[in-house]
Amino acid sequence: MFTSNPFAELSSLISPSVMQAYIAVMIFLVVGGTLFDVVHKKSAKYFFNNWQKIKNKETQKVGGGEMASIAIKTAVVDGLTSGEFCNPQRRIAHLLGMYGFVAYVVATIVMVFSYPTMATPTPAIWPALWYIGGLMVCIGGYWFWFFLRVDVVAEGHSPFRLVRADLFIVSLLASVTLGLIWAYVQSTGGAVAASTLLGLYLIATTVLFGSIPWSKFSHMFFKPAAAFQKRMEKANGSRRNLPPPADAPEIYGSARRQPQNY
Amino acid sequence: MPTFVYMTSCDGCGHCVDICPSDIMHIDKTSRRAYNIEPNFCWECYSCVKACPQNAIDCRGYAEFAPMGHSVRALREEDKGTISWKIKFRNGTEKDFVSPIRTTPWGSIKSPSDYDVPGPEALISQELAHEPDALNIKGGLPALERKQLKKGFRKGL
Amino acid sequence: MGLFSNRKTIFVDSDVLVIGGGMAGCGATYEARYWGRDLNIVCVEKANIERSGAVAQGLYAINCYMGMQWDENQPEDHVRYARNDLMGLVREDLGYDIARHVDSSVHKFEEWGLPFMKDPKTGRYLREGKWQIMIHGESYKPIVAEAARKAATEIYNRIMVTHLLMDKKKKNRVAGAVGFNVRTGDFYVFRGKAVIVGAGGASHIFKPRSTGEGMGRTWYAPWSSASAYALPIQVGAKMTQMENRIVLTRFKDGYGPVGAYFLHLKTYTENVNGEEYESTWYKDTKAMVGDYIDRHPVPTCLRNHAILKEVAAGRGPIRMVTKEAFKDPHLEQVGWENFLGMTIGQAVVWASQNVDPKHTNPELTTSEPYVMGSHATCSGAWASGPEDYAPDEYQWGYNRMMTVDGLFGAGDTIGGTAHKFSSGSFTEGRIAAKAAVRYIQDMGTDEPEVSEEEYENFKAEVFRPLETYKVGRNEIVAGTVSPSYILPLHGLQRLEKIMDEYVGGISSGYMTNDWGLNKGLEHLQMLKEDLEYLGAEDLHQLMRSWELKHRLLASFSVAHHTLFRKETRWPGYYYRGDHMKLDDKNWHCFTLSQYDAKSNEWAMEKAPVYHIID
Repeated sequence: MFTSNPFAELSSLISPSVMQAYIAVMIFLVVGGTLFDVVHKKSAKYFFNNWQKIKNKETQKVGGGEMASIAIKTAVVDGLTSGEFCNPQRRIAHLLGMYGFVAYVVATIVMVFSYPTMATPTPAIWPALWYIGGLMVCIGGYWFWFFLRVDVVAEGHSPFRLVRADLFIVSLLASVTLGLIWAYVQSTGGAVAASTLLGLYLIATTVLFGSIPWSKFSHMFFKPAAAFQKRMEKANGSRRNLPPPADAPEIYGSARRQPQNY
Repeated sequence: MPTFVYMTSCDGCGHCVDICPSDIMHIDKTSRRAYNIEPNFCWECYSCVKACPQNAIDCRGYAEFAPMGHSVRALREEDKGTISWKIKFRNGTEKDFVSPIRTTPWGSIKSPSDYDVPGPEALISQELAHEPDALNIKGGLPALERKQLKKGFRKGL
Repeated sequence: MGLFSNRKTIFVDSDVLVIGGGMAGCGATYEARYWGRDLNIVCVEKANIERSGAVAQGLYAINCYMGMQWDENQPEDHVRYARNDLMGLVREDLGYDIARHVDSSVHKFEEWGLPFMKDPKTGRYLREGKWQIMIHGESYKPIVAEAARKAATEIYNRIMVTHLLMDKKKKNRVAGAVGFNVRTGDFYVFRGKAVIVGAGGASHIFKPRSTGEGMGRTWYAPWSSASAYALPIQVGAKMTQMENRIVLTRFKDGYGPVGAYFLHLKTYTENVNGEEYESTWYKDTKAMVGDYIDRHPVPTCLRNHAILKEVAAGRGPIRMVTKEAFKDPHLEQVGWENFLGMTIGQAVVWASQNVDPKHTNPELTTSEPYVMGSHATCSGAWASGPEDYAPDEYQWGYNRMMTVDGLFGAGDTIGGTAHKFSSGSFTEGRIAAKAAVRYIQDMGTDEPEVSEEEYENFKAEVFRPLETYKVGRNEIVAGTVSPSYILPLHGLQRLEKIMDEYVGGISSGYMTNDWGLNKGLEHLQMLKEDLEYLGAEDLHQLMRSWELKHRLLASFSVAHHTLFRKETRWPGYYYRGDHMKLDDKNWHCFTLSQYDAKSNEWAMEKAPVYHIID
């Protein structure tokens, strides 16, 4: 099961060109939704103005070479290793979800576009990546949902309370969970069940990508930009008006404890 | 100067929610990040500012009497035992300060249980824990005598 | 709390129950463990003890330190000082008791890691003034909280205690407390053999000068919601000096501290024309209070009085002359760090208004009134004094026990003990804790028992505002205006206006009289009835609801005491327009009150002052 392409199986019911069109629409929704969000909220203008402010307050020049190395550092540390998270558990959960999602999406696109039917046998790696990616999203996501969300952990709200900030994670988990269950049910028989699950899977996925202007999805594009600006602020001395670190030895340890809702 | 949180810096860790003595730092329902829900109950104590690991919290003086364009930011470094401040006036004047905050490692205070158990005479006496030694005086704990008591008003006191 | 969460009732047993995790509560927790190694010591705090209470932002000075080790002061000197500042009326026995112990507390603070400034010549703690020493106290509270955490069996953060519980076996004996968790909404029943109240005094009972966003910038912490008073008052503990509210002269808007400025920077005040003004009002003040004006130092309230008169005469504002002092870079640094370590908001105000004390002499103002027990004021519960020398009338067994058995107090909670500040409050917590441990030992097997009926009734009462809001909300479309409930902020602003206009707030120049006080009590009574219709949208608003209820109960006490004392003892704090002079013949005494919750009646009486020190 883990090595068979669920979309190829599905091609007997739904033509590959329909599947491919659906994916194209989802990609369009991501790009369009993000752009709409940016334009509507004028967030690009804000970022640009903020960038100007940072440049104006510089106390040290940052050369092109240094800026490039900062960009690379941002991409590697903040982007690839989710370095901005100060809480190690949240960082790990995010990494699981992030790489899981990437693997899952890439595998979906490859399978639907390159190996759409049973006639084109799929190398085992792609379905494997699809399942593994999906499972990673579920592990990271459900862990976050029940145990790491700050409104649950620090504020004491029930994990079942739903607010708008949950739109992204709920639709993501619903989409991936339903997708995994659908693929499993499809491969073990039960045509009616499989069709129902497929329908639900498509609804959840459409909500995930369609709700981008209202959810936290687009933060995955804003965060790297913000991370880069933050590193630049440190490098050019402006630090957003923060004082520089004190020139003193680190000999007293720390008393910091994890927040809890008591 | 109520506090506010920078959107791009807050990662929703909850330290500010945990520490605020006024219970006014809470999580926004749209972005799952922190914000000040009741600036009119903010004392500007900076507990949240100091607790934020991302330095995502800043203050803007009370709109009722503080003109815009100022900045008072702090960097509390527990492991160095220091707090650093940068004050920027509306007219651009800047002032910087660094102060010590502790002289011993965090967590190093000796528990009262680690001291010798006081005897029953000590419990009846007027001396508190670690006394009279911790007073660092000769002659024991000072006291008054009942015969010194005088009831009521006396001129010239 | 949501559709799927259940409100639990959680029972916590303890031997020593400390309510409030501020300076007093942390001192009590620490000391209780020293004397009661095997005892179950529980501390309950509305916020997080790491930064709760008035010392949240830190302190730049410890204002109560004798320095006996260097022969700087003796405890008697402090009693004279506090008595002088409070126009003769302090519990000298309690004050001496704190003064003789406070040095050991301060030495422990240094040992624990609080940075003290030292005099480079002598190596001693750097004195700011006769009683004050200078510290780098940004982390004063976290350090003290660490000591409490090491001592307690358990610290409960984010639980607001709303009521004390009484023993169902013995009359007038405390048995515990109830409260609710501000995060989870669970109901807590604390059972304790001895209860030490170390909660906060009263800010926000008089209308503040800033009423918009700026109302957060009160001199005393906005989270000091008078629980120190409401909890004992509700169970019939006698209170004293509740009329003795304090007004502070501080920097305008930010209420930044002036102590270091006067004492270390040697700044002084002048009127708007650059003139000295206090001597102008000497005769006027002498006519009111007699030779109390001739004391050194001049009592705090009388200095306020001179400012009020000068400003009313049109020569205000009074300003602090800083331009000279700030030329010295060391003094300039002290002047700013003084705020950053204690009242950051003042630095923000000056940065925002471009006030640099090097070039401008900043404005001072007199604040709205506050009621608390640890500063240049001493409102609070009437407590038993130290066994070795307190007069018989002042003791009924255990030091710092109120007139309710087993109910101890420290810090703001205890009345008659002025000028104890942070170190004195911590020390008073220690005193109360040691006495509480002895009380528990003496009680043997005769332990108090909570009444299920009592706590079940409280449970319904505690959560009622949530229910009121939920049901009433159905009546209106949206917004804050409802005919069937009021929000906590509505009630708070109404309380503050009543107190301001009738009980001697800023709008009347701190003036009140018999008629005004009775009218004020009428209004307070209507407000009390209306608080049955408080509507709380969530747990945070529920906490605000109970803070308001505590503030209102304390306000009743303040109004009754102010009505009872027919004199103006502390001009500059408040005035009785119908009794404008100080009257030592009839009123050189303490005022005591006792509230009966069942009949809603207040019984007032006088208690004698015992002067022990000459």
